[in-house]
Amino acid sequence: MREPATTAVVGVAGVAGALAAWQAVSAGEVLDSTSFPPPTEVLDALVRVVGESWFWTALGETAKSTLLGLLITVAIALPLGAALGLSETAFRSCRLVIEFLKPIPVVALLPLALLMYGTTLQMKLVLICFGTLWPLLMQVIYGVQNVDAVAAETARAYRLRRTRWLVSVVLPSAAPFIATGLRVAGVTALLLSIVTELVGGAAGLGLQITRAQSAADYDELYALVVITGVLGIAVNGVLRRMERRTLRWLPEHREVAA
Amino acid sequence: MRRRARIVALELWLPVVVVAAWWTLSAGSQSLYFPPLETILEEFRATFLSSGADEHLRPSLVNLGLGYGIAVVTGVVAGVLIGMNRWAAAALDPLVHFFRALPGPALLPFAIIAFGIGTTMKVWIIAFTSLFPVLLNAIDGVRGVDPTAREVARAYRLGRLRRIFAIVLPSASPQIMAGLRVGLQTAILLMVVSELVASTSGIGFFILQSQQQFEIADMWAGIVALGLLGCILNAAFGLVERRVLRWYIATHGEVVR
Repeated sequence: MREPATTAVVGVAGVAGALAAWQAVSAGEVLDSTSFPPPTEVLDALVRVVGESWFWTALGETAKSTLLGLLITVAIALPLGAALGLSETAFRSCRLVIEFLKPIPVVALLPLALLMYGTTLQMKLVLICFGTLWPLLMQVIYGVQNVDAVAAETARAYRLRRTRWLVSVVLPSAAPFIATGLRVAGVTALLLSIVTELVGGAAGLGLQITRAQSAADYDELYALVVITGVLGIAVNGVLRRMERRTLRWLPEHREVAA
Repeated sequence: MRRRARIVALELWLPVVVVAAWWTLSAGSQSLYFPPLETILEEFRATFLSSGADEHLRPSLVNLGLGYGIAVVTGVVAGVLIGMNRWAAAALDPLVHFFRALPGPALLPFAIIAFGIGTTMKVWIIAFTSLFPVLLNAIDGVRGVDPTAREVARAYRLGRLRRIFAIVLPSASPQIMAGLRVGLQTAILLMVVSELVASTSGIGFFILQSQQQFEIADMWAGIVALGLLGCILNAAFGLVERRVLRWYIATHGEVVR
C-alpha cells in the first residue's frame, strides 16, 4: 500500500506551497516586510529563540499551568462525575447548575481573577479549572451512565464488591467518554494558559508574544506563534492517541474532531 | 403526574438554593470582590436592559455575527469541496490541523499589526479562528461518507450538485454540526478576548473598564450578561442542531457531544 506515503508527500507539498506563497508575498513587498517578515527570517528567529534561556522558562510556565490545571480538573471531575453518574437523584439535582455554568465564556472572569490574584499561577489555575471542569464533568457523567445494562446485571449476580465493580465494569465502559473529555479539556487548558498570559500578563509563552510585539521584534513574534501552534499540535496529538486507545473497545463510538 | 412533579422539583431545588444562598450571603456585603447580588442585578438592569445594550452589547454581537457567519459559510462550502477531492484534502491537511491546534488568541498581535484595532480586526480574528474547527470537521465528515452511497450516486449518474445535496451534506451533517458547535464557542471566546486586548466598545471592554475603575458591581453585571449570552447562544444552537439532525437523532438516539 503506497497510499499513506503519497498522502504524506502531497501534504508536505501543500505546506511547501503555503510557505512559498508567504515568501513571495513578503519578498514582493505586497505586505510591508518589516511587519510581515518572510518565513526564512522567521526560521532564523525560531532557531535563535530556541537557544535562549528565557524561552525555556516561558515554555515551562505555560506547560506547568496547563498540566497542573488539567490535573486539578481531573481530580475534581472523576470522583464528582462518578458520584453524579451513579445516582439519578444527585444527577438531576445538579444538571441545571452544570448546564448553566458550562457555556459561560470563562474569559469573562479574567478581569475578576486578575483583581483577586494578580498575574499569578493561581489566577491561571482558577480560570483553567473553571473553563475545563464543566465539559469534562458532563463527559464523565455520560460515560458512567453508559454502563451496559447486561454488564451491570452480571456484576450484581456475581456480587462484585463496589470498588471492584467501579474499576472493572464502570471505568472501562466510561473510558472512551472520559478520554474524549480529556482531549477537549487539554486543548482548552493550553488555550486558557495562553490567554491568561497574553491578555492577563502572567508569565509564559503568551506574555513573550506580547513582549515581542511591543518591542517590534516581528520575526521573533511569528516564531513564538509558530511554536505555540506546534505545542497545540503536540497536546492534541498526545491526548488523541490516548483517546484512540480507549476507543478501540467501543467501535460504535463516533469520532468527532472537536 | 406525581412522578413528573417530583422530577421537576428534583431538577429545580439546587439552582433555587444556589441563587437564594448567593442573594442572602452577599446581602449587605462589604467585600471588594463580591458585591450584593441585588446590586449586581440592579446594575445589570440599568446597563444591559436599557439604552446601554445598544452601546455595550450591539458592537459585540455585530462582530460575533459577522465573524462566525463568515466562518460558517466559508468553512462548510470549502470543507465540502475540499473533502470531495482526495488530493486537495491531502494537500491541505497539515495546514488545517496546524491552524486548528494553534490557540487562536496567539494570532491577536498579528491581527492588530495587520488590521489595527478596529472592527475589521475583530471580525477577522473571530472568523479566522472559528473557521478551522468548522473546516476540519466538514472535510472529515465528507471524507467519511459511506462509499456505497458514493457508488450508488455514481450508478444513478447524479450531477455534482444533486450529489452534494442528496448524499454528501446529509451524511456529513452530524460532524459538520459538531464543528459548528466548537466554532461557535471559539467565536464567542475570541469576541471577548479581542475586546479585552484592544477595544473602545463591546461587552468585554465594558467588563475590563469596570474592573479598572473598581466599579465591581458593573463588572459583575457584565459577567452576568456574558454568561447569559453564552447560555442563550448555546441553547439556540441546540435547537438548530435538533432540527437539522432530526433524522439522525431518530435513528441513532441523542447526539453525543
